[in-house]
Amino acid sequence: MFKNSVKNTLLTIVLSLLVGALLMLVFSYNPIYAYNELIKGAFSNAFNFGGTLEKFVPLLLTALAFAVSAKVSIANVGVEGELYLGAIAAAWAGVAFKGLPPFIHILISFFIAMMVGGLWAAIPGALRAYWRVNEVCTTILLNYVAKYFTAYAVNYPLSAHMGVPRTPDIASSATLLRILPPSRANIGLFISLAVYLFVWFMIQRTTLGYKIRSVGANVEYSRSIGINSKRIMISGMILSGAIGGLAGAIEVMGIYGYFLDNFSTGIAFDGMLVSLIAINDFRLIPILALFLAVLKQGSLGMERFTGIPKALIDIITALFILLAALQLLQSLRSSKLLHKFSKKKELA
Amino acid sequence: MNLFFSNISMIFNINLIHSTIRSSTPVLFAALASVLTQQADILNVGIEGIMLTSSFVAVIISYFTGSWVLALIAAMFTGLIFAVIIAISHLNFKADVFAIGMAINMIALALTRFLLQKILKTSGSFYDKAIVPLPRFNIAFFSNNATLKSLFSGYSLFEILGIPLVFYVSFMIYKTVWGLRLRCVGQNAMAAATAGINVYNKKFEMILWSGILAGIAGAHLSLGYSQMFTENMTNGRGFMGVAAMFFGGANPLWTWIGCLIFGFTDAIASNLQSFGLPPQFMLMIPYLMTVIVLAAAMARYVKIEKYSKSALVSSAKSSKEA
Repeated sequence: MFKNSVKNTLLTIVLSLLVGALLMLVFSYNPIYAYNELIKGAFSNAFNFGGTLEKFVPLLLTALAFAVSAKVSIANVGVEGELYLGAIAAAWAGVAFKGLPPFIHILISFFIAMMVGGLWAAIPGALRAYWRVNEVCTTILLNYVAKYFTAYAVNYPLSAHMGVPRTPDIASSATLLRILPPSRANIGLFISLAVYLFVWFMIQRTTLGYKIRSVGANVEYSRSIGINSKRIMISGMILSGAIGGLAGAIEVMGIYGYFLDNFSTGIAFDGMLVSLIAINDFRLIPILALFLAVLKQGSLGMERFTGIPKALIDIITALFILLAALQLLQSLRSSKLLHKFSKKKELA
Repeated sequence: MNLFFSNISMIFNINLIHSTIRSSTPVLFAALASVLTQQADILNVGIEGIMLTSSFVAVIISYFTGSWVLALIAAMFTGLIFAVIIAISHLNFKADVFAIGMAINMIALALTRFLLQKILKTSGSFYDKAIVPLPRFNIAFFSNNATLKSLFSGYSLFEILGIPLVFYVSFMIYKTVWGLRLRCVGQNAMAAATAGINVYNKKFEMILWSGILAGIAGAHLSLGYSQMFTENMTNGRGFMGVAAMFFGGANPLWTWIGCLIFGFTDAIASNLQSFGLPPQFMLMIPYLMTVIVLAAAMARYVKIEKYSKSALVSSAKSSKEA
């Protein structure tokens, strides 16, 4: 099963890169040169590699957030909103508390960001659990509410009055340590990996995790064995939202040092797509998140040196997702032609 | 007191009707598109992306050919192409329709940005006097009375066509054999197949119709509602259409009412801005209102269901909940 999904993913990666190469040829660019620059742009030196890691962290966390909600059979498309709210909460906590020791300050900021994200996600969770309000709709619409709310906060009460809509710099005790100096990669990388392992362990090995998986697999069965499925659905959403909030907090405390209006250009949507490709298989999430981070970071260098617009890489990414969703390998296997072929083999 | 009334009339006035219809129409077409697929039990979230791409195509064609008819046809054709992609990947390759829809939205965003740079050599937005908009109907008879003029004049083509379309779609779904088969496929595909309905063809057909309607929604957005193209100009209108569809329980008439509620809040919110309300709140209100209205409608459905349950069937029905 796992082997198949890895194969499927690899096939999709190769296919989408080929389609991307074709697109480049159509617009008369040299694809080999372009991909070479892409790889260089993602790995060649500490700055570029740091950039890849920097993009990997929010992708991993937001993908994880979506996967957790999918485990209770809710599609949480609202991670973007939770990311924004977590980010603004962390930016507020980074300024509001002063004179705390660094470790405590960071923990408090994380806690507040996760609380805010979790509570925000609890709203669509509760609406879904009690009134069957479609969560795809509510979460997408609440994204806009969250985004406009942060835009208001950063323009009025929390504004740094600097011309650009941003908050004041957070206290140094709340900033995360950088690990690859010229780049902005920070210890958020280890935090996110730790959170990933913890959540994976929790889902697979604890009672709450069992309940979550059970509700996701079969609500009726869960009810019969005495699980309060509504409450578990909401807990799953709170967990998902908290992870989203944490992703926002790491962006603010590790990368920017302040909250900038509109800073995330759909990070959480990319994360969600990572999770959709992995079909919520926790093992595939980091691999795919890294692949997408490489594409995103590499496309910057590629744009600079070859003149190929970044938007083309976005198209390739989207194609990759489209192809991945098709489950090509499985479809090919089950298609009639191959079926006949394999049957003949068996007979012989 | 006088001040109070003058303030109230700044928010609530006769122009509100016009602006309600104006801002609800793009959402209405998206909502009807999602009604059609939802009746066949497919949640089409790709409408947002189809709308965005076809609004771009409409602007391009209108700019280069100077014909709104060609632009409209091109937009519908774009919607059709995307619909074919969705239909084939969902029905032939068994892909999760939600994943496909989201991928389509992403492709649309990247593709329009890329083509904006490649073809028009700009980024952000594109406006030019050479863009020919959809026709707008001014009735000379009403033009000397401000109230009548605001009420009945100056509507764009699809702002007028949208209203009969709601009734037409409703008629098609509930009063024709075509609609009966459609609802049958949506409610129980296996039963439909047993009755001799080709489920695959029906679903395919509905996705195609949905694509065409989303294409019209896009053309209206860029050539009727405005006269330009901006990156991500749909800004969630496709999703609002889906929300309106859920509000109306996939019934075109109720869906239309949902769209009007959205348009009304949008119109009021823009009037409120003159009172010094931060613009971000004005932008936020329609989305927030959509969520609240949707939640209230669903709460009502659930409540009605609870009351209408008899003791005997309650155990069977309650298992379908949650």
